[in-house]
Amino acid sequence: MADLAGETMNGGGGGGGEIKVGVGGKTRVGEEGGVGVGAKIRVGEEGRVGVGGKTRVVDLRSDTLTYPSLGMKTAMMEAILGDDVLGEDPTVNALQERVARLLGKESAAFLPSGTMCNLIAVLLHCDRRGGEVLVGDNCHIYRWEQGGIAQFGGVHSKSLKTHPDGTFSLTELRQAVRADNIHFPRPSLVCVENTHNMEGGKVLPLSWLDELSVTCRELGLPLHMDGARLLNASVSLGVSPERIVRDFDSVTICLSKGLGAPVGSVLVSSAAFIERAKRLRKGLGGGMRQSGVLAAAGLYALQHIYPRLSEDHKHVQIIAKAVNECVGGAVTCDPSGAHTNILMLTCDPARITPAQFCTRMEKVGEGEEAALGERVSCRLISINDTTVRLVTYKDISLDDVEALVKKLVYVIKGIA
Amino acid sequence: MERTNRIVRASYKIMWRRMYREDVLCRSIPGRQTRQYQSPSHTPTTMTDFKGVVVDLRSDTITKPSDGMKKAMMEALVGDDVYREDPTVSELEKRMAECTGKEAALFVPSGTMGNLISVLGHCEHRGSEVLLGDLAHIFLYEQAGMAQLGGIQPHIIPTNPDGTFDVDEIPVRLRYEDVHYPRTCLVCLENTQNVCGGKVVPLHWIDKVGEVAESVGLPVHMDGARVMNASVASGVSLERILRVCQTASICFSKGLGTPVGSVIVGPEKFMYKAIRLRKVLGGGMRQAGMLAAAAIYSLDHMVHRLAQDHHHAQLIAKAISEEKSRNVTCHPDDVDTNIIIVNLNPEAVTPDQFCERLLMVSEDEIHETGDGGVLVKVMPWTTTTVRFVTHLDASLDNIQAVITKLKYVIRELDSIH
Repeated sequence: MADLAGETMNGGGGGGGEIKVGVGGKTRVGEEGGVGVGAKIRVGEEGRVGVGGKTRVVDLRSDTLTYPSLGMKTAMMEAILGDDVLGEDPTVNALQERVARLLGKESAAFLPSGTMCNLIAVLLHCDRRGGEVLVGDNCHIYRWEQGGIAQFGGVHSKSLKTHPDGTFSLTELRQAVRADNIHFPRPSLVCVENTHNMEGGKVLPLSWLDELSVTCRELGLPLHMDGARLLNASVSLGVSPERIVRDFDSVTICLSKGLGAPVGSVLVSSAAFIERAKRLRKGLGGGMRQSGVLAAAGLYALQHIYPRLSEDHKHVQIIAKAVNECVGGAVTCDPSGAHTNILMLTCDPARITPAQFCTRMEKVGEGEEAALGERVSCRLISINDTTVRLVTYKDISLDDVEALVKKLVYVIKGIA
Repeated sequence: MERTNRIVRASYKIMWRRMYREDVLCRSIPGRQTRQYQSPSHTPTTMTDFKGVVVDLRSDTITKPSDGMKKAMMEALVGDDVYREDPTVSELEKRMAECTGKEAALFVPSGTMGNLISVLGHCEHRGSEVLLGDLAHIFLYEQAGMAQLGGIQPHIIPTNPDGTFDVDEIPVRLRYEDVHYPRTCLVCLENTQNVCGGKVVPLHWIDKVGEVAESVGLPVHMDGARVMNASVASGVSLERILRVCQTASICFSKGLGTPVGSVIVGPEKFMYKAIRLRKVLGGGMRQAGMLAAAAIYSLDHMVHRLAQDHHHAQLIAKAISEEKSRNVTCHPDDVDTNIIIVNLNPEAVTPDQFCERLLMVSEDEIHETGDGGVLVKVMPWTTTTVRFVTHLDASLDNIQAVITKLKYVIRELDSIH
């Protein structure tokens, strides 16, 4: 974690330390590979934190790291505001309308996070005690939301085996939806995730979504899509978001990931559902006041950042191709499996573990600067015993990607 | 102006119908609370032919960020706060921990979430119970979150007009170990006490509650949504006020004027639990430093000016009391901070009617008061009271316009009843 006390600060606050302001400055990390006391701070036009050093840091841990641009911040400051708890913030209302229209639904609610969107959706769909939600066993709601739906909603999760393409078997779904029996919870909802994060940002096939919706209609079950990265799916498929979510009763879509807004997500559904969602939002503590400042960033993102999402996908392809070309390497990947802005690298644990690989990629080793022509530090995330994840986004330039590729190839070739 | 009156009346009929329907659904509790007041979409404020002043005193939550605050937000250095890498959020949390004398702090999207996290954090085991005042915001206005989401039972204690409750009730109502009983796990206080009229609860009472709670092994949480107002009004530091409280929730989006957010303060170990709770509730925001920057700005520029809001509240209270009306009363001594509860004679006027009247203006009124007339938005509070809240977006000029309006309306009412 960056400890910047006393050494940082541009404009907004005190503190000593040398400050260099550079136009379009990139994030730089000091000699030791971390931000620390004694390092020089360099702040670019966008006001990003950086340390004046010679190392290029390429941080691919997540697209949640996206930084609000100057244009976005200006839009935020110029937004017309009101009290959103009273429904009087015109910018929030505009964003909600815009997103609802984009997804072809009646209404939408702006929330502080995708986690809250999913939590509210599940709790509303499963609002009778003893309910059960059917989810993929590798999905975010099931694995990465702290079991909130059980913790707060008393909702039971029935997990279905996730296939590598992000789908699950519809036969298994039918078998899992059990008859009304005193021993069984009441199946109340089916959830899918698109793009599927842990399967590597996979885009769910449209044909499968259509079959799923037919199945769920027969079973009498509503459908929720955790579409945190829905717009990546839409761009990748070349299909409108509206078409993708056509048969879904509710959808979560994040603004703070690849779209680059600082905070927020949107839950989209029918007008009646959204009215109930706003009520539950308040109960959970998500009722914000002049949140138009955040909504303005969302509107800006939809207008300016959404159109460039395919760049992030192209960057992943460049990286994947380069890794793939390291034949016999300890680290491999499947370029055709990388549909969007996420790439999963598989490590052969006998030669290098994911944790070791991540550490190695972050460090600038002996002789590396001479070999690569610059000091490059790359931050990736170790997902499990064999997998490393990297995520591209708007603040990772082509330059950064090229530097990353050079380093990746260098490091992989250096593994015995 | 007749058209204006007609339009205003028409829009109010629609609003009334909505409000009355909701009123009927309200549970009957001492000092029954009416539904939150919302402007109809076609309020007089959006009418192009109204040339007067509109002053909104419904709440201090409507405050908007100033230019200086926005500049600070623009310039903030940010990072991903879910990874705990946002330097501005960290700076805010550090400052709040310091000025409250606690070990740590956590930035959250709202006071409701601040209180919910605190209660859930203190009461981790199934079958818990919390002692709190019957007029507490946590009890009345947080959608029973502790019960709904935490399975925790609130156990209420009658609240005195000064915002306190009888400290002796704590050991009396404390549950001892018995298979019939839930387990008491927390005592909650509120300062300033909202429903009682923004009352600053006495320091010696807070200390006494702390002493008694400690003697029976209970932690104390303070809903300090407006504790900054309490601090400014009483001249006592936050640290001193919160000395016996393990945790507290403090709002920035009210009188301090930031767009979004509150902060919880408390022990380091508790804050780790709080971070987890914040995440699971869906309050984990990313580059929240922009919001934290507004809060830091408010700590540097907006705290001392709360005294002005208190002064404005006194002016309004004094003006009403000087009318010596039999129908509309309030006492300046009852006004501690920025909230004024105005009492109405139920035989003369209901709170809804009074609020409606303040949002209407007649030709005669404009002739007498001049300047195109004044419209004032306030909140019907109970079956016999109306609440006014002063804040930074209501200037002295605005307050004087409100006073002019009030005097006119009160005299009009007194002449009829």
